[in-house]
Amino acid sequence: MKRLLLALTVAAVAACPAVAQETCEFGTKIHFVDTPKEAATLAKKQEKLVFVLHVSGHFEDPGLT
Amino acid sequence: MSALNNPEVGKFVNEHFVASFQKVATFKIVNGAKQGGNVAAYFCAPDGRVLHCVAGPVDAQAFLHELKWTVDTAKTCIKDSKGDGAKFKELFRTAHSEKLRQEFGIAVSPVTYDSPQAMGENDSLTYRDPTGRPLAPKLPPPPIDGPDVRLTEAKFQELQKNAAGAPGNRTAMDAKGRRVVVTNQSLVHQVMAAHSLVPIERVYGTVFENILGEKISTKPVDVVKPFTWLDKQGNRIK
Repeated sequence: MKRLLLALTVAAVAACPAVAQETCEFGTKIHFVDTPKEAATLAKKQEKLVFVLHVSGHFEDPGLT
Repeated sequence: MSALNNPEVGKFVNEHFVASFQKVATFKIVNGAKQGGNVAAYFCAPDGRVLHCVAGPVDAQAFLHELKWTVDTAKTCIKDSKGDGAKFKELFRTAHSEKLRQEFGIAVSPVTYDSPQAMGENDSLTYRDPTGRPLAPKLPPPPIDGPDVRLTEAKFQELQKNAAGAPGNRTAMDAKGRRVVVTNQSLVHQVMAAHSLVPIERVYGTVFENILGEKISTKPVDVVKPFTWLDKQGNRIK
């Protein structure tokens, strides 16, 4: 039982933050959440402002990131 | 460039904002073919009302300047408005007109009230998709009164010369018919002097069509990833 708990804890620590952080930054230094709605909820809780990036059309500018 | 990849920008955004993204379909017809695409960053209150915006790609220094101004101005306006929402809006719009005056030498009168704005099928002040379906209202910027009277002609000309080298530079007429150089960012302040603290769904049409010159064809939609040149992990797609 102890072993199982230890294994689960290690797996959770290894998988969650690293993957979440990398996949949410999309090659930038900014941590993005999935939707403006989610951002608004978090911003209210954390007493922050909301940053919304609108990318339009065939915009392709590797220099941006 | 690389504003979003700048460590200082990242640190500031992550400290003061919760960030997210959306896709907006836009197009520009050049020689009969659809072209274009652009980017706009909105800095909003937690309820989605836009405090400020950066239209088009800018360098890290310019981006940070606008971010810091937004946070500092929000703090000042919160303090000075003492919990009065209408006063907060008035102060924020006035701050935009003052920044326009200081950084571009252009004077506009802030619009500190919101007139009733209907958005019906037949409303001419509406951006529409190619089928005619209404998408967002056209938010008229307040007219340019003219150069800031506190400036000398030489100083105004210096600011105009700087503006002529900035992204999106073009000429506009002031109230006396004089030509002044405006830029993407000066136009943002001009629009925000009348329409800051308006929901993002109402502002994006004006930012893309009036400032960036691209026709919108959809409302903003949630997508899985913001940049077409990167995969989910942020690796460049070759």
